[in-house]
Amino acid sequence: MNGAAARPWAVVRRTAAYKEIVKALWRANPISKQILGVCSSLAVTVQLETALVMSLALTGVTAGSSLAVSLLRRTIPRNIRIIVQVAVIATLVILADELLKAFLFDVSKQLSVFVGLIITNCIVLGRSEAYALNHPPGPAFLDGLANGLGYSSVLMGVAFFRELLGSGKLFGASVIPEAFYRAGYVNNGLLVLAPGAFIMIGLFVWLEHALLEKK
Amino acid sequence: MSGSAKSLLFIAVLCGVCSLLLTAASSGLKPYQERNILIDRHRNVLLAAGLIEPGSRLKEAEVEVLYAERIRELRVDPEGRILEGADAARPDGLPFYLIQEGGEIRGYIVPIDSRGLWGPIQAYLAIDRDGQTVKGFAVTRHAETPGLGGEIEKEWFRRNWVGKKIATREGTFVSVGIAKGKVEEQVPEPKRPHYVDGISGATMTGKFLSAGIRDSLSRYEPVSIRFRRNQIAEWEQRLPPARP
Repeated sequence: MNGAAARPWAVVRRTAAYKEIVKALWRANPISKQILGVCSSLAVTVQLETALVMSLALTGVTAGSSLAVSLLRRTIPRNIRIIVQVAVIATLVILADELLKAFLFDVSKQLSVFVGLIITNCIVLGRSEAYALNHPPGPAFLDGLANGLGYSSVLMGVAFFRELLGSGKLFGASVIPEAFYRAGYVNNGLLVLAPGAFIMIGLFVWLEHALLEKK
Repeated sequence: MSGSAKSLLFIAVLCGVCSLLLTAASSGLKPYQERNILIDRHRNVLLAAGLIEPGSRLKEAEVEVLYAERIRELRVDPEGRILEGADAARPDGLPFYLIQEGGEIRGYIVPIDSRGLWGPIQAYLAIDRDGQTVKGFAVTRHAETPGLGGEIEKEWFRRNWVGKKIATREGTFVSVGIAKGKVEEQVPEPKRPHYVDGISGATMTGKFLSAGIRDSLSRYEPVSIRFRRNQIAEWEQRLPPARP
């Protein structure tokens, strides 16, 4: 007890929540380790703003659907469990889309179909089927949240480099000084295009694998 | 209760709950969404008229002020006469917009309703006071494939339209079409003012939108003729600027 008070971090590190989050962020990151959800991460990472909104939407949907499925897990008939999960996920995605249209209209226009396509994102159904169906609501919610954050971390990382190197901006504000451009610096147009995102995600995957192997 | 009856009951209850949730959200958020759509429409009208810069982050209130000052919403009958008072609600009335500055009319904007590949396309085409030169173009609603047909809302495609002619020098209506590829490579010299660069990979979108623009413009041809013959002085007198 005494030791725990002296080192609160060590206690946090032993909790299930901490382990789940670390696992989803790093050892089993949905994008860079499991290569899931790549389609949307190619599409929405041209700017940090769209990537952030997409991250929030996906994290909300994953956490919410895991929680809902976990609460229903004892009553869901096994033979129609996938239909039930998809119905829950689809409802949450439409809710997220409606909220964006009401309060973040410009971003929702840029995200266009990709918010709706969260329904088909393997991360959401994957977590709900693999984890939430057999775990109590608390851990299931955390698992969804953690995986959403794992997705978000890579999305934000990719968007950071794409916006910085592709358009010289961060969150829409220019950060590369005018003097650089006068000295001959040019934004890298490739990073604005989808192939640039592919290369960027590839680099993230490589980085993570290399670092994990070292351990 | 048998297994399948239980499954059916469960799914029925679940669907009921989900529908209730979505209906509540949809009707609760509708006022906010409709306001956003209205502002976005006004923004696009101003963009087509060349009154705001693309990508400018004007606040809602600023958009509304500019719109109230410079744009006048009107309806005309199929012969191009302005409908006023009780007539304005006539079912055959066509909505259009005048671009005003002080007491002068600088041009007009025709709403384009077109078919697209995946759904309707709504856009605005602004035409200069001469009744034939395009001032600008802006898409306000579409459901085309992002990256292909979806390029119609992009800046490069929008810029494409500025300076094109909807009529020949003699004043015969020809509309502006979307070429299959680059205008310089695909269209013979004399016809170039009536074509804009197409989008590769979006031939169908281009085809539908070209036809939609031709249809819409031909319906407004009486208005355009009035502008071409410079018969709008009467309108300028009858329609003082929205604000002094």
